[in-house]
Amino acid sequence: MSNESTDLQLAGGEQSRKARERLYRYIFLSCAALTVFITTGIFVTLTVDAVKFFSTVPPVDFLTGTTWRVSRGEFGVLPLVFGTLAVTVISALVAIPTGVLAAAYLSEYASARTRAILKPGLEILAGIPTVVYGYLALVYFTPFLRTLGINAGTFNILSASILVGILIIPMVSSLSEDAMSSVPDSLREASYGLGATKFDVTIGVVIPAAASGIFASFILALSRAIGETMVVAMAMGLRPRMPSTATGPFGIPYIQPMETVTTSGQTMTSAMIQAVEADAAVSPVVGQSLFALGLTLFVMTFAMNFLSNRIANRYREEYQ
Amino acid sequence: MASEPTDGGTASDRPTLTMSISQLRGRIFELISAGATIFGITVVMGMLVYVARDALRLGAADPGWYLVFFWTLVVPSLGMAGYFAVRDRAAGSVAYAATGIPVIGILVAGGLVIVFTELIDPQEWLALVFALVVAGAIISAHQRYRPQATFERLLVLFLTPILTLYGIPALSVDRAITTPLTGTELFTLSFSTPALLPSVRELLFVLPILPAGWILLLGTVTAPLAYGFGRLIAARRDDERGRLELVAVAVTVVAIAANIGPLVGLSAEGTILVTTALLVPTLTYLEGVVRRREGFAGLAFPVVLVGGTFVGAVLATSLGFASPDPWLDWSFLTSAPSRTPEDAGMYPPLVGSILIVIVIAMSAFPVGVGAAIYLEEYAPDSGRLGRFVDFLEVNIGNLAGVPSIVYGLLGLALFVNGVGLRDGIVIVAGLTIGLLILPIVIISSQEAIKAVPDSRREASYGMGATRWQTIRHVVLPEAFPGILTGTILAMGRAIGETAPLLMIGVADSVRSVPDGFFDIAAAMPAQIFSWKSELAPEFRTGVMAAGVITLLVVLLVMNGTAIVLRNKYQRE
Repeated sequence: MSNESTDLQLAGGEQSRKARERLYRYIFLSCAALTVFITTGIFVTLTVDAVKFFSTVPPVDFLTGTTWRVSRGEFGVLPLVFGTLAVTVISALVAIPTGVLAAAYLSEYASARTRAILKPGLEILAGIPTVVYGYLALVYFTPFLRTLGINAGTFNILSASILVGILIIPMVSSLSEDAMSSVPDSLREASYGLGATKFDVTIGVVIPAAASGIFASFILALSRAIGETMVVAMAMGLRPRMPSTATGPFGIPYIQPMETVTTSGQTMTSAMIQAVEADAAVSPVVGQSLFALGLTLFVMTFAMNFLSNRIANRYREEYQ
Repeated sequence: MASEPTDGGTASDRPTLTMSISQLRGRIFELISAGATIFGITVVMGMLVYVARDALRLGAADPGWYLVFFWTLVVPSLGMAGYFAVRDRAAGSVAYAATGIPVIGILVAGGLVIVFTELIDPQEWLALVFALVVAGAIISAHQRYRPQATFERLLVLFLTPILTLYGIPALSVDRAITTPLTGTELFTLSFSTPALLPSVRELLFVLPILPAGWILLLGTVTAPLAYGFGRLIAARRDDERGRLELVAVAVTVVAIAANIGPLVGLSAEGTILVTTALLVPTLTYLEGVVRRREGFAGLAFPVVLVGGTFVGAVLATSLGFASPDPWLDWSFLTSAPSRTPEDAGMYPPLVGSILIVIVIAMSAFPVGVGAAIYLEEYAPDSGRLGRFVDFLEVNIGNLAGVPSIVYGLLGLALFVNGVGLRDGIVIVAGLTIGLLILPIVIISSQEAIKAVPDSRREASYGMGATRWQTIRHVVLPEAFPGILTGTILAMGRAIGETAPLLMIGVADSVRSVPDGFFDIAAAMPAQIFSWKSELAPEFRTGVMAAGVITLLVVLLVMNGTAIVLRNKYQRE
């Protein structure tokens, strides 16, 4: 092998190495770009079928109808929206105070050792499959509510929503805790220096300073509650219903909260489960209604996630 | 402190009063928030205790039965645990590992037995291994003799495994080509080619006789596994010993076991897989204990557990105490779903879930890690591409929050209505959930890659390595345990997902075991969901509980493995 050919070989080697480097870069880039494809894929497929749906069912009927009965071709989304709203509100009532208090405890009070035990413990809640929560709500929690004297039906909104609430606690607590522990220590020390107690520092300094991060965690948790499927499909029943009302004094109708939450209801997600299981038997419109509901759900949760991330990021920048 | 008095009238006692009030307020707040921290987990664990009671039907046993096991099992093991905790910490951790490793081994063996009985027989497995070995040999030969030809090698890298696995089979096409939109027929494509190159499998099966299944498993499962673990031993010992010794011991013991197994009514193949999965990791661990020469006492713990169970069972039977009659028993794990609660089982869903996880691992893992590598190692910070990368990161974050049911719709639209696969089959289920956990895999892999210190990368660049060489030889090995941990956790999430499965039409109740990736899938969570609508009350209080406990045990093992891995490598 002469000197010249060695040089040539080296040059060829380098060229091919460069080509190889470029090749790997593009392979990895395409992996990353696949995620954009997923987003557009979701949006396009949902939109295409939703458009078909809206060509048979007018959007106005869909958005303002108060009966959802696919077997008769009645596609009014309001009862489902109401069901989703009820679940979201009740689960938020459970998860938000619990989550924020837990975050405050983990970030301000707990010793490193306690934290190391409690934090993974909280994360376990998010790791249990939702179908298990549904089972717990149906078979164990509803009878428990009855022993408390609440006249709950076999399927009811209350027990499903409380378990959805428990399931989203870790979402509130971990993001809120991140926000609280990134509040700079100088703020804490300044208020300790003014004679504040730990309680004052937590309530008066840390939580207000972390407010936007905590708020972001609320939005994220609510979007999770809106999209939650299995718990409500198992424990809340499959009866799309508007809230039960009674006529009060002077003939003004009002919503009876207890009657409403102790009977069954249906969310958008469990309506989708029901529709897909009935799909083959009924008209194609039912199949398309799935996509209309899915699109509604996707747009809502995507917007909420986006907002939450934006708020959390802006907040993080504040202290860096 | 808003309540702090500003006037100094009775300065001697009022500050003490307010201080004690604010201390009390602080204490109450601390207690409430501590309660809030454990609220959720207490509620859920409390209910899970009831689930376990129902699944195992603990109420059916005599008090005497509990008494016997209390003395033979609970007292000795708690006593040992207490002793370890107070006197001998090292032995405690040995006891923990020496009990956990065989348990995980047995569960993994259960999975392997299912794979080998339902999916692939030992001959097919041999053919697969053989084909991959041949492909590997060709690839490395090509690398040795033509090191310069990069693109050629890429071609070899992709084509050789396909050729060895499938050969060039006879091809016959006869279909009408239509325009995609309007559906008008353009022309009819019709041709056929002869088989050009046989696959390795076909060549292998030309042989008149192949060894018996258990010998094949001994060669293709036990020996390689023992060799792999032996390398681990050799690496830990820093010498060359361990590999061949472990292979020799494992193969001998397993071979003997395989000959004893059939005598007591077990299949030889099953015995091989179980003893291998039990023996090899345990031996590897024992070697470490013996070498470190500490915590020997801990090795007695699993012996006490097994012995106590055995003695307790013998005593309870001879004294005539009724034992619990659990729903969750061997026949539950090995029989098909049924309408009568006593016969109901979840074997097909168990197999289905394993198959689905295999598909997920093969699809989401490589893509997710690839994307994470790009985002962490290649992605520019600025310019047009930089903005695109920012957009990617935001998008991945948002995708992680999209409800799982929406992914189900995507899978339905993409794989069933789009590609035209049958609905409810394993591959569709796996790919759909693969899409769902992709963002999670990407995010956790990014975290793992970020944790690799920059100094390593710079040292590698300083020695003239290219970016890919740095990633391949420096970043990935370092980040691998973290990536693996994140992926296992994501798999755990994937096993429990139900809504997407229902969306793509996974039947809730499948009586036959799926025999391949293109067969109708069953899955554990979907099965639990379908039992909800059974009328017999035993389904809700018994069978579903057993199903839930099975699912949770599988999850616990996966998450436990992931956490142990993480702790082990974080320490090092």
